[in-house]
Amino acid sequence: MEEILPEKMQYKLDFKGKGETFFGIVIVNWLLTIVTLGIYYPWAKAKTLQFMFGQTTLNDDAFAFHGTGKEMFKGFLKAIVLFICLAAVMGIFVYLEMPFLGLLFFYLGIFAVLPLAIHGSYRYRMSRTTWRGIRFGYRGDKKEFVKLFFKWIFYTVITLGIYGSWFQMNLRSYVLSNIRFGDAEMNYDGDGGDYLLMNIKGYFLTLFTLGIYSFWWQKDIFEYYVNNLSLHKDDKRIEFTSTATGADFIGLIIINLLMIIFTLGLGYAWVVTRTMKFIFDHIELDGTIDLNTLQQTEENFKDATGDDISDFLDIDFIV
Amino acid sequence: MSNQSVGIFFDGKSAVPQPCSLFLDTQKGMLLFETETGHHERWLISAVSFENFGNSLQLQKQSTDGIEILKITDATFAAAIQKFRKENNHINWYEKLLASGFKMHLVLALVIFALIGLTYLYAIPWVGERSVVLIPESYDNTLSGTFISDHLLFSEVESKKTKALNAFAKELQLNNKKNLKFIFVEEDVVNAFALPDGTIVVYSGIVNKMKNYDELVALLGHEAAHVNHRHSMKMLCRNLSGYLFISAILGDANGIMATIGDNVNSFQSLSFSREFEQEADREGFAIVIKNKVNPNGMLNLFKRLQDEGDAIIPEFLSSHPVTQQRIATTRQLVKSTPHQVEANRNLQQLFQQLKK
Repeated sequence: MEEILPEKMQYKLDFKGKGETFFGIVIVNWLLTIVTLGIYYPWAKAKTLQFMFGQTTLNDDAFAFHGTGKEMFKGFLKAIVLFICLAAVMGIFVYLEMPFLGLLFFYLGIFAVLPLAIHGSYRYRMSRTTWRGIRFGYRGDKKEFVKLFFKWIFYTVITLGIYGSWFQMNLRSYVLSNIRFGDAEMNYDGDGGDYLLMNIKGYFLTLFTLGIYSFWWQKDIFEYYVNNLSLHKDDKRIEFTSTATGADFIGLIIINLLMIIFTLGLGYAWVVTRTMKFIFDHIELDGTIDLNTLQQTEENFKDATGDDISDFLDIDFIV
Repeated sequence: MSNQSVGIFFDGKSAVPQPCSLFLDTQKGMLLFETETGHHERWLISAVSFENFGNSLQLQKQSTDGIEILKITDATFAAAIQKFRKENNHINWYEKLLASGFKMHLVLALVIFALIGLTYLYAIPWVGERSVVLIPESYDNTLSGTFISDHLLFSEVESKKTKALNAFAKELQLNNKKNLKFIFVEEDVVNAFALPDGTIVVYSGIVNKMKNYDELVALLGHEAAHVNHRHSMKMLCRNLSGYLFISAILGDANGIMATIGDNVNSFQSLSFSREFEQEADREGFAIVIKNKVNPNGMLNLFKRLQDEGDAIIPEFLSSHPVTQQRIATTRQLVKSTPHQVEANRNLQQLFQQLKK
């Protein structure tokens, strides 16, 4: 019997942003943030994200971020209120001369908000991201995620941190596997054990080679993040593969460092754009999904609170 | 001028690219287009958002159930649309700022840098120093208590000489507002320092180097001045506020810049301390004059300290790098300030006891 093999499709990821353009955005953002004593911050963030997403292309069509400063400002206010409340409770404890209890409460409070912040920011950010008008979406379940999050934290604590590797991979798997791209689904299947071994190897080799191996370690991590990623639609799929080598990372990191140092930080915008370019140039897509067949499935979602809390807590966006 | 071209339309429901023919109606400010399947659209240009990609344009229109996108790769047509927007003032101030060019941005960047620099150099230390009044003096004592228990635990406090040192200080007017307490430590360290709570620690090493009691008076005057002006607390506040400012500015930049910033801050604090040293020198000198002690003692003390080179100095409390400049300034002071010298037998005697 003859089987009809699905046709291989062509994909190309790219980042087209110019350092010069981004420099303008950064400077104007700084200026307005200073002039408004910080109130402009959410708008500045929206502009930055709009640039980053807008200059990233798949098959020469750009992604787009539709979040607005106004939405983020509301989230920003909520996040500030939350922090003020936590700080006020801590203040009461300090006033009652129980500073350690207060501090404990403060950190536990932030800790409790952490999974909600991750959930909220993914839900918001994905819902405001499109490609050819097709929305992304995040379908993680809040309750389930919070439960899992604390379960993983608990395991990490009782294993004195060893479970941390599984924690990271489980978190990544949960979050990324719940991302929808129209009617296609993302999937990530990294394993905590493999990740741990890779990091132990990276750590010791870096130590023995006086740091030189760190670039290859970086390459391994990048590869582990990218290669375990895939996109599924019906019975078709797209696999992600990293093509970056350790030497590529040497070039990226050393030159970034020199650029920052010799421009006294002014080169920051160029460092960001060349890093983005580097990332997308080194991700290869391979598969059978016809991107033209993607259908709109995800709903609009407007609450930006999670996004701003995660910003305050300095959580790096996982992807 | 061409006001017709082709583009690609995405309807916000599927990702299928739909080629379409475009027409720009500058009279009505409308963009009209028709897809190959015969679907018609009329977009009001002022109601659409724009994204630039070099020569091409991407137009987005938020409709009730999705985002519709029109992609225009024809550079002349894209330019025609932009020209229309410019002429009709559709370009807002933000886009204008962005479009003001690299040179303008560079100038803005330098202005921002200068502003931050000026704030850091002038406003922040000032705020930091003023914020000292917010810190209750009781905290000075707590801090000193911690320091004493940490650092003087293994030092040998000589109780007899401590008594003599206190008696020596009692003979003097030190302009102090809070009670000063003197501790004499038997250790070959050529140094002395003042804690914020008024405890002044003097090592036998420095006293043994002295030839005359006027040098000890100069030393105590200098240390008392540090206490009187709450220098350690001011320094702490200045460092802390400088640190907070730098991390707030560079917090989201990156690790490298933050590290550079930290180092700049510690360089900066070195010059703070120099400033405080000068202030303590001036007031110490005034104390010497007030007590009718020979001001040349101060000069001699500095020269000895300089010969000794760098001693071990507790970092955040006070550091006494004796520089040529400090000596020169003091010499100038001795010359220009009228002074009376009266030999003081009590001081002389107590000083001899300390030297034993």
